[in-house]
Order: sequence, then C-alpha cells, then structure tokens
Amino acid sequence: MKWAGWAMVGLAALLLVLNGFSGPLGALIFALDAPFLNTFQAGVQRHLSPELWNVLILPILESPSWLLPLVIAALFFVLARRKARGTG
Amino acid sequence: MRIHRRRGWEIPEREATPEHLSLNRRALMVAAGAGVMLSPAAQAQWFFGRSSASGDPWTRNPPDLPDLPPAMRNTRYQPGRDISSEREPVTYNNYYEFGSNKDVWPSALKMRTRPWTIKVDGMVEQPGEFDLDDLIRRIGLEERVYRLRCVEAWAMTVPWTGFPLSRLLEIVHPLASAKYVHFETAQKPEAMIGLRQSWYPWPYVEGCTIEEAGNELTFMPIGVYGKPLPAQNGGPFRVVFPWKYGFKSGKSVTRITLTDQRPKTFWETLQGSEYGFWANVNPEVPHPRWSQATERLIGSNERVPTRIFNGYGEFVASLYANLQSERLWT
Repeated sequence: MKWAGWAMVGLAALLLVLNGFSGPLGALIFALDAPFLNTFQAGVQRHLSPELWNVLILPILESPSWLLPLVIAALFFVLARRKARGTG
Repeated sequence: MRIHRRRGWEIPEREATPEHLSLNRRALMVAAGAGVMLSPAAQAQWFFGRSSASGDPWTRNPPDLPDLPPAMRNTRYQPGRDISSEREPVTYNNYYEFGSNKDVWPSALKMRTRPWTIKVDGMVEQPGEFDLDDLIRRIGLEERVYRLRCVEAWAMTVPWTGFPLSRLLEIVHPLASAKYVHFETAQKPEAMIGLRQSWYPWPYVEGCTIEEAGNELTFMPIGVYGKPLPAQNGGPFRVVFPWKYGFKSGKSVTRITLTDQRPKTFWETLQGSEYGFWANVNPEVPHPRWSQATERLIGSNERVPTRIFNGYGEFVASLYANLQSERLWT
C-alpha cells in the first residue's frame, strides 16, 4: 500500500513539473486526448446526474493536476498505516 | 398445462420500481458517497438544485422584455410535418456552455438577453455594432417553420421568427474578397458553467461559406412560437442552417466576421473527426455513434427516414456541386 502512495507522490511531482503549479487537470487531459472529456461529460450528465459533473467532477478538473494524485497518495498512506496497526 | 412456479426473487411487473425512480435512487447513492467530500453548500445544491427545473421555460430575462412585433409566416418553406408542441423545443436543448444534459434551460434562463449588440466586421465595406432591437426594426421580421435535425438523430419542427442573414449582409456590404462567415457566440460566465472548462477554445465559434450565408434558407431567429427566443434556444439572436446538423447553428451570436480564412470551429477543435465544417444532413453517412438513416421526432418518438440535406436539397444542393472532395457530410 505504501509503495502505491509513493508512486502517487511521484506522479504528482511529475505533473507539477510538466503542467506547472496551477495548470488544471482538465487542461492536461484535454492536451492528451481532446475528445475524452466531452464524451465523459455527456456520459455523466446525461446518464447519471448533471450535478455529479457540476459539483464534483468539474471542480476536480479545475484543480491543479498534481493535487488529485497527492490526495490519493495521502489515502494510500492512511490505509497503509491502518493495515500496519491491524496486523501489528 | 404449463405451470409457472415463481422463484423467490421474482416479483410481478406491477411491483417493479419504475425506471426513472430507480435511476434517481442510483444518483442519490452516488450523491451520498460524494457527500462526505462536498461542502454543505455544494451538498445543498446537489440535492436541491434540480428543483429549479420546475419553473417556466418561457421566463424572460429581463422580465420586462417586450413581446415581438407581429411577423407573417413565410409559406414558401413547408415543413411537411406537424410543428412540435411548444414545450419540446424550449425544454430539450443542446447548449454546451450550460452543460451536456438536455434540461439546461433553468441555467440558461439566468442569462440576460438584453441589452444585446451584434458586431459585424471583417471584410465588409460598412462594419458596425448593431443593437438587436434596432436591427429588428430596421430589417423587419417573418416567421419560418423549419425542420431541425440534430446529429444525435433526433428532430423537431420549429416556427422561428427572424430575418434572413442575407438582409443583414446587405447592410454591411461584403467585400468581394470575403469567402467565409465566422460566427462568435456569447460568453456569460455568470450563467454558463461550461466556461469554467478553461481548456476549451471558448468562445464557441461556427462558420459557413459566404455562399451558404447568402442562401435564402439561412435564417437569424430572434423568436420562436411568436415569443422572444429563450436563452436555451440560443436567444436572443442565433443562426439556423436547416439543412445542416444542429451544432452548426450557433446560439446567442454576438459577432459576425467576414473573412477569407475558413474558420476553425469549436467542435472541429474538440472532435474534428466527428464534427466537421460542413455537416450537411445525409442519411447514408453515419456518425461514429449515431446512424443517420432515421430520426426520432421529439414528442411523438416516432422514427422517420432522414432526408438528404434534411429535405432542403432543392434550395442548397447546388452550393456543393463543385465541392465533392470536401467532407460535406461530417
């Protein structure tokens, strides 16, 4: 679990270098695959809920690209700690 | 005799949860999961935001927006099918700046549609910035009932009130060097949540050739069903090319530029392989996700065969006689 956390930290650092401090995640995805976000948005808003996009996914896409992997890394570290306590 | 023993998990059809309730419940489950990550204000918007869809899709913004002047119906353009009910075209829309879902109208109505000016510039003798109401008084209005065909294989029949684009072009006098017309549409961040997607090439841009712009069918609606055009329909001022797929008909137009360069449209930038410059209706050329052989009529849900150029070939086919090397149907 811990190694996955460090991998995410590495990814966050890489994105910080490639996409800058404030470069949004959405811009990075758009640069990699321009049609993807449009198709993804249509799928979410038409088949799940418009608000799921507006309230949750859009703010994530607007956030700096390094933030999401860093949050995931933190989750992995917390899980690793709990697991270590449980087995200890 | 055939005996049907009901298994433990089987229930009669009448006891099954209706699909729309089931889907809502699914959305609620997702919402509950997301809830822990959202602020209280965001949670409130999530749970209660949809209730705004119970308002009136004809609400005017500003509220004192006057009725349209009377307009005679032009009977030269016969749709050959019933006009859609008044509610369908104002509650079932594609307007990307407000979202990808069809019921964007509650958000769209937050956009003020007056005052509204249209800049006309580029390769013209007399560029200018026109107040929309002045333009209406100057040109006059007519009503035309056109078939509307979306690339998603649905269709409506809509009575637009407006004027031909050619009348506006007569005012500004295009130069002989002008080859294309570039339409730029509104950016209203206070109402358009889509503009927060800063990675997209806003503003929404559409375009056509000068010949297409001058075609008698190319229409600039400012009203629908005899009422001011609501924002969700592209109000207060849009363009309509009835022989092309709907995404070509730019909404809430603020600027028209004549140029000798072919415009790169918004959808060409996003997904050029699927949404091209020409986008003329053709039942024999499928979109990667939608067969174009038939179209679903919104309202009745009846499926009817698609017609080439959406049935307007007699008016427009000649425009493309020498353009067979182009992707005319994408």
